[in-house]
Amino acid sequence: MVKITWKIAGKDDITADIPIGNTLMEAAVDNNVPFIEGECGGCLSCATCHVFVDPDWYGTTGAPGDFEEDMLDMTEVERSPTSRLSCQITASTELDGLVLHVPIPD
Amino acid sequence: MTIWHPSDDGHADLSDHDTFTRGVPHNTFARLRREDPMAWCEGGQFRGYWSMTRHEDIMQHNRNTELLSSARGIRMEDQTYEEYVARRTFQETDPPEHTRTRIRVGKAFSKPVIDRQSEVVRGLCCRILDTALEQEEFDAAALISRQLPMRMLGQILGIPKQDLDWLVTKGDELIANTDPEYTDHILDRDDTQAYRFMPFRSPAGADLFRYAKRLMEERRTRGEGGGVLDLILEPDDGDNVISDVEFRNFFCLLVAAGNDTTRYTISAAIHALACRPELLEQLKRGDDAIWRTAPDEFIRWASPTMHFRRTATRDFELHGKRIREGDKVVYWFVSANRDETRFDRPFDIDLSRSPNPHLAFGQGGPHICLGMWLARMETRILLQELVRRTARLELAGDIEYLRSNFVGGIKRLPVRVIPETPST
Repeated sequence: MVKITWKIAGKDDITADIPIGNTLMEAAVDNNVPFIEGECGGCLSCATCHVFVDPDWYGTTGAPGDFEEDMLDMTEVERSPTSRLSCQITASTELDGLVLHVPIPD
Repeated sequence: MTIWHPSDDGHADLSDHDTFTRGVPHNTFARLRREDPMAWCEGGQFRGYWSMTRHEDIMQHNRNTELLSSARGIRMEDQTYEEYVARRTFQETDPPEHTRTRIRVGKAFSKPVIDRQSEVVRGLCCRILDTALEQEEFDAAALISRQLPMRMLGQILGIPKQDLDWLVTKGDELIANTDPEYTDHILDRDDTQAYRFMPFRSPAGADLFRYAKRLMEERRTRGEGGGVLDLILEPDDGDNVISDVEFRNFFCLLVAAGNDTTRYTISAAIHALACRPELLEQLKRGDDAIWRTAPDEFIRWASPTMHFRRTATRDFELHGKRIREGDKVVYWFVSANRDETRFDRPFDIDLSRSPNPHLAFGQGGPHICLGMWLARMETRILLQELVRRTARLELAGDIEYLRSNFVGGIKRLPVRVIPETPST
C-alpha cells in the first residue's frame, strides 16, 4: 500500500492507501474522487482521468508517454506542464506520499 | 404510472431482429444475468455466440483486447477475411493501431472542442422544435429525433445543408439494414452477397463513398480545410496515407454513428416525458445540477447501441463455460445498463442519478464512443429547449420499435404537445 493524496480546490483533500500495481485512475474511481471518471478503463481513449501532478513529484512520476502526450490535448481542463493521465501512472513504493491536484471544470 | 414494461417471456431469441420490434427483451436479459451470465446463443443465420450480460463482466473484459479482440469483426454477422478487410474501420482494430487512428480524429470530438459548439446545437434545436411544434400532434421521432444528429454532424463535417436529408436516408440504410422500412436490402432476409465488401453490407456504402470523394474535392477547390475529414486524410508521422477504401469506411462510420444513436436517446427521453409527467415537471423546475445528470440517465435508459461483439484470441473459462479461440463474444451493453447489482432501481428513471456508471458508450474499453460528448450535449440542449416550450406532453398513438438487435429504439413516436403559453 502507498499513500496518495488528491487535492480538490474548495473541498477537503482525499487521502487513501492504494495497493501497489493499481493505476491512480482506478484508485481515484475507487475512492470517489470527483471529476476523475476514467471512462475508457485506462485505454488512452477518453482523457477523463486528467490530473496535475504536484511539481515536487513530477520528477518521480515522470513525463507522459507518446500516446498520452497526444491525449493530453483533449482534456476538459487545459493541460499544465505537470499534467498526466492518471490511468498511466501505477502505484509503486517510490510514489508513497504522492500529491495530485484535481483539475476542476468551469 | 410506469414508462414501459418488457413483455418477453424470459426466453427471447436475441439473434432474431423481430424480437426487438416489441422493445428490448429485458426479461430475457434479467434471467441471463441471474442464471446464465455467459450464455451460448444460437446465431440464426450466423454461427452461435456467447452473450455476456453482466455489468461487472463487461467492465472486466472490455479493456482486455488481447483476449477479446475487435480485429475479427464487431457485429454478430460472420465475415470472411476478405470481407473483413474490405469493410474495416478503426472500430475493427485493437490498440495500439486503434489508438493511433483515434488520436488523429479524437481532438475534433473532445470535450473542449464540442463545448464550443453549444450555441450551434442550440440554434439547430430551436429551429427543429419551432417547426415541429407548429402542429399539435406529430411523430416526434420523425420531426425531432431524426432531425438533430445529422444536422449537427453536417456542421462538423462541413456538409452543405441541402445534402443532409439525403445523408439521413443513406445513414438509415446503413445502420437500419435489418428494418424493411429503411432498406431494400434486408441483411437477414435478402441476398446481400453482391454488397459483401461494402460497409454494413449495404449498397448505400458505395453512394456515400462517391459523395464523400466529391465533397472533399469541392472543399479542396474552395480552399477549405482543418475539418475531421481533412484530419483523417493527412499523412501520419510515418508518411502513410489512408487508402480510398479506408476513407470510404470511415466516412460511412461517421454517417451511420452520427445519424442514429442519439436519435434513439432523444426518442426514449420524449417517450419517458410523455408517460411520466413528473419527469417533465422535474426538468422544468430543475437547476443546473439536474441538467448535469439527466442526459446520462436518458442515455442509460435508451442504450441505443445494444451490443458490440468481440472474438476470443485463445481459450478461456468464465462462469464455468469454456470459450474457444475464434468464438464470438457479444457484450450486451443494454443489459449491463439494467444490472440490478450495479444500479439501484435500474428500471426507473432517476434524473439525479450520480454516479451513473452506465455502459451505453462502451465504457471500460478503448472503443468508448468517439462522439459521447456530442451525444450528451445534443441530448441536454434538445431537452432543455423542448421542456421550455412544453406545458404538457402526451402520447397520441402506439409507438413502434426499429427491427434491429444492434442499434435501435423507438422509430415512431406519435405525441401531442400542449405548448407553454409565452410569458408576457
